[in-house]
Amino acid sequence: MLKKIAQGLALAAALSLPTAVQAADTLKIGYSIAKTGLFSQAAPSQVNAYDLWAEQVNAAGGLDVAGVKHPIELVWYDDESDPVKSAQIYERLISDDKVDLLLAPWGTPHHLNVAGVVEQHGFPMVGNTAGSVAIREVEPGNIWFPTAVLPDRIGPALADMLAAHGVKSVSIIANVLPFSQENLQFLVPALEKANIEIKMNESYPPDIKDMTPLLTQMKSADADAVIALTYPSDAFLYTGQAKELGIKTPYQFLLIGPTIAAYKDAFGPVADGIITLGHWTPKQKDWPRAQPFFDAYVAKYGSAPDYLDSALAYMSCEILQQAVAKAGLDHDKLREVISNDTFDTINGPVKFKGVENIITPSAFLQIQKGDMELVWPKSIATADLIKR
Amino acid sequence: MESLLSGQLLFAALVLGGLYALIALGLNLVYGTMRLLNIAHGDLLMIGGYGAFWCFTLTGISPLLGLPIIAAITAGIGIALYFLLFRNQLSSGKPIPQIEANSLLLFFGVSVVTQNVIALAFSATPRAYRYLDDVYHIGQVAMTGNRIATLLISLACLISIILILNRTMFGMSIKALIQNRDAARVVGINVERVQLTSIALGFGVASVAGGLVSMAEQISPFMGFPFTIASFVVIIMGGLGNVFGGILAGFLLAFIEIYAVALTSANMRSILLYGIFVAVLILRPQGLLGKARQS
Repeated sequence: MLKKIAQGLALAAALSLPTAVQAADTLKIGYSIAKTGLFSQAAPSQVNAYDLWAEQVNAAGGLDVAGVKHPIELVWYDDESDPVKSAQIYERLISDDKVDLLLAPWGTPHHLNVAGVVEQHGFPMVGNTAGSVAIREVEPGNIWFPTAVLPDRIGPALADMLAAHGVKSVSIIANVLPFSQENLQFLVPALEKANIEIKMNESYPPDIKDMTPLLTQMKSADADAVIALTYPSDAFLYTGQAKELGIKTPYQFLLIGPTIAAYKDAFGPVADGIITLGHWTPKQKDWPRAQPFFDAYVAKYGSAPDYLDSALAYMSCEILQQAVAKAGLDHDKLREVISNDTFDTINGPVKFKGVENIITPSAFLQIQKGDMELVWPKSIATADLIKR
Repeated sequence: MESLLSGQLLFAALVLGGLYALIALGLNLVYGTMRLLNIAHGDLLMIGGYGAFWCFTLTGISPLLGLPIIAAITAGIGIALYFLLFRNQLSSGKPIPQIEANSLLLFFGVSVVTQNVIALAFSATPRAYRYLDDVYHIGQVAMTGNRIATLLISLACLISIILILNRTMFGMSIKALIQNRDAARVVGINVERVQLTSIALGFGVASVAGGLVSMAEQISPFMGFPFTIASFVVIIMGGLGNVFGGILAGFLLAFIEIYAVALTSANMRSILLYGIFVAVLILRPQGLLGKARQS
């Protein structure tokens, strides 16, 4: 009996020894996220990408820090969808928790609030899910944005795509919320410049419950294309009611909504032909990391990633990972590498000038036979844009 | 202008009105009989939506067939909350304004807990499913199957509850309690039984509305708040605690929403809706049918 106890103790000691060493070397990577509150439904696609990345890094032996691998642990707090609270959390992560690295929160207002904190501490952070021209007003040096969904680039790109496909007129409906209105602001002059007639331009409140009058008017306008600058809930409302009213406009663009998995669950084949905002798809063969990310995400979570938020979140992790492998954890070296190097991501190469990614173009996805195909610009397209 | 006469707008207004009236009905029953301000009302819709979603996606059972089960579960939640949080309040003899204020705070807590429990249990990821999404045509009017079902079930629930309130002794007891709690007790009405039934009915009806909403919209743990606001607007406009006033206001607001947008612009929707709401309250602070009931 004593021998068995001694063997058990020895085994326990043997097992616990590497754990103790490992725990000492574990790197803490912190972030805040809208786990609860108004934006919480947007956050899981980002958190899932973070968790998947951390799992993959640990499975590969840890995060390579200038040649030495360390296991990583994600430390996060719920910012309750409050950008002010998010900034307080980053202060706490840096000052109290003494995290080794940072990941980004969800959404533009949160990024803009956190930018001041990382700037103050000189702590580099790669952003992701922010999409506003306001990001250019952030002091460059400690925060970078890999996104290509910036309204002043989207508007001209959308006008170019429609003009290239013979569209002569459009009907626009837009949510009054900021991202839609910011896009509208840059879209209208771009359409005018492309000689595309705007037959209808109506904004609607975010709590709209029925679009029948709006869509009846749109149907009467009989434009060549529909541009609906939606948020997710009104993207659902638009698609269901456009189907009911028999709106068969050949090109129908919805700003936000169609990239989330629930959209395809709700509409199935009816969603085919819908065009939306997005610059990533696993179908782009020039980006060899894209399909493995998609497959791993589906295997872990049972549903497709959000083509915008999940992809951007994972890209930001990849950039951080590659920068840390080269520069280590020193903030000055890390800043230098992120600012100057080109990174290989699931969305192809990324390089920053100031805070902005200057390689990834503003692009559009179209649902074709249930798949998300990149249809514009031609340089990264995986399929031709088709009429509905 | 021609489109104003179309059946399409009429159908949209009826569907929306039926839904508004149904959503507000549950809130009105709970407020009318107990003076409880249920700020968590929209979360009951959310629970109904998740119930219908899981019912359909896990078992393949029609969400419409699952509605009675979902309603029974939320009715049970209502009964549990009654015993846990409100029974003592109601029997304590506190003045009504204090009961209203306390209930507002308690239901706020219930709302926060409910949303976050659902978010932790099912994640905050939006969910959706396809059900009865074929489009049918009657004359020039196009109707999606799930919107027809929403209209028919809303009307069936509203008519059933109106009949119960008007044609049964128990319904009369509910109306009596709504009109005057003390007098109802004096004439021998079992107040606790009526209160329990009202909270069960109110919660159950709200989850039925949520099940109907889930057939056409995405659901998420935080979807309830706009519905709470909408239902408060409806019952205040109709006359707090006035079930018939609430139904009338629900349809009125839906018709304003559809036809006023058709006449002006979608941008005017909230201005018109809340403008008329405020105008009604200025002219009739007791709501559309409030005074008639009180007199």
